[in-house]
Amino acid sequence: MPGSIPASATAEELSRAGGPHAGWLGATLDFVRQRPLGAVGAGIILLMVAMAATAGLVAPYDPLATDYASMLAAPSAEHWLGTDAYGRDVLTRILYGSRTALLVGLGASFLGTTFGSLIGVASAYFGGRIDLIVQRIMDVFFAFPVIILALAVVAVLGTGPENVILAIAAPMVPRCARVVRASALAVREMPYVDAARASGFGHQRIILRHMLPNVMAPILIMATAFLGEAILLEASLSFLGLGVQEPTAAWGLMLRGAAVEFAETAPWMAIFPGLAISLGVFGFNLFGDSLRDALDPRLRTQ
Amino acid sequence: MGYYILKRLLAMVPTLLGVAVLIFILLRVVPGDVVEARFLTQGSQFQSQELMDIERKKLGLDQPLWKQFTTWMAGLARFDFGLSMWTGSPITEEIKLRFALSLQLAIMASTIATLLAIPLGILAAVKQDTWVDYAVRVFSIAGLATPSFWLGILMILTMLIVFKWVPPMVFTPFWVDPWQNLVQLIWPALAVGYRYSAVGTRMMRSAMLEVLREDYIRTARAKGLWTKLILSRHALKNAILPVLTIISLEFAFLLGGLVVTEQVFNLNGLGMLFVEAIARRDYTLTQALVMLVATVFLLVNFFVDIAYAWLDPRIRYR
Repeated sequence: MPGSIPASATAEELSRAGGPHAGWLGATLDFVRQRPLGAVGAGIILLMVAMAATAGLVAPYDPLATDYASMLAAPSAEHWLGTDAYGRDVLTRILYGSRTALLVGLGASFLGTTFGSLIGVASAYFGGRIDLIVQRIMDVFFAFPVIILALAVVAVLGTGPENVILAIAAPMVPRCARVVRASALAVREMPYVDAARASGFGHQRIILRHMLPNVMAPILIMATAFLGEAILLEASLSFLGLGVQEPTAAWGLMLRGAAVEFAETAPWMAIFPGLAISLGVFGFNLFGDSLRDALDPRLRTQ
Repeated sequence: MGYYILKRLLAMVPTLLGVAVLIFILLRVVPGDVVEARFLTQGSQFQSQELMDIERKKLGLDQPLWKQFTTWMAGLARFDFGLSMWTGSPITEEIKLRFALSLQLAIMASTIATLLAIPLGILAAVKQDTWVDYAVRVFSIAGLATPSFWLGILMILTMLIVFKWVPPMVFTPFWVDPWQNLVQLIWPALAVGYRYSAVGTRMMRSAMLEVLREDYIRTARAKGLWTKLILSRHALKNAILPVLTIISLEFAFLLGGLVVTEQVFNLNGLGMLFVEAIARRDYTLTQALVMLVATVFLLVNFFVDIAYAWLDPRIRYR
């Protein structure tokens, strides 16, 4: 029916829900059936993890080995995705690059959401003046250009994967804190938090054991969204020469310099690492989107 | 309403002050200063410690931090950004042309993002859970996943091979040659706009889905109104606000954050200026740029809130 408007959700929801399968295999099958896009995303993530885990075994060459005899070689049987300006195998470097991407992505997303959620929950729990001050500080960070924060952190700490993780995590903290605080404000009014307080539990225990577990849904949503973003930001920083440094294999770094210079004669150098970035981030976003649909009742798309 | 506007404008002052303190401290924590940075690039000229100290004195870097800060603040209060520490020319001069470029690019990219997001979001919502919906979602998530600088590289590569077109080295302002200017900026605007449309498309879709379940839509349908009329007159009006909000909030980022895209397309916008200013430890220029972007961000926020109150009679501010 062209241009028709979907009927109200409830009836469909009931018919679709069916009987949930038992066990994790059943749960997986349910997820694949109900959220095909999310399943594709999960598949891409698994592929990326597998690439990172087995790069040492699968990769046909040494990622750092230069071979000036086969510089800028086009894709062939020996070099499936061609070689770069130093004769390094592009496929090998993409395989090893998944390690950098996952390391930075997981590290930054973990740090950003951990500190962000702790600040958010604590701010909501204490309320009053503390909440007000924390919120004003968050406002300042919001108005602050993200890229400058990242550039400044890199300028202070220097380049390298650990510092790139910090640089990317820093701007995530206030964003996560704001979202988590909003959810935690509702949780604070729940009877079980009152009960915990009445039982004489300390602040730390109430925040960590009673409030935090109940705002896990927004935290998980933020964490998956941040993962993709962190991989993208790492690629941008490395592309600018401010992230991971040569000769480490990193996707953003592979697009830098020679890849652009020789784009016309050796386009494989510019095409494949970019594809790897896009596909990886695509997987995380697809999965994160479905997760959000599943966890956030307001956005539930029956 | 007048009182609310005044209150909101005044609330910007402490935030901006916080931003100023933050960037001021950050820059002083970053090792090295402009004199050292210049010494590294120019070699012999400032070799001796005395010469470097003289140079620092000229720039006011020998003064205590609180004094440097108050001098800067006093200047800002009079809308005087001062001189660039690197070039010595007024910062307003340094920023002017680059600001024009970045502003135009941001406007073009936001326009493209809006034009893509609204129809695609509506389409996906109306055809929810069909292949059309899936296609739109994949298209938009792919946009979010593709680095716009890589999209830019691919665009340039394609045009190089097909049209033998190379991005020009010099920027042509709109008032000099509008056609040349648009040709130059349309590709970066498309690369960036596609990416930002993704956020808007997803927002449009979920807002539309929410609105389509409201009672007044059911009433309209029960009255037998055309689907098209329901969508355009009843649903769109109510679903479009959050989409416009999210696209406008990205605007401040587009203004100063397109560092990599600017590099790929050979554009000298604010983003590249940011990187240069930090690399040169040009304190005054970096500070001015951060304040500029922060102010734009706060103003856009402010206008969005005002627009909400004006467009949606349910929202009234006190």
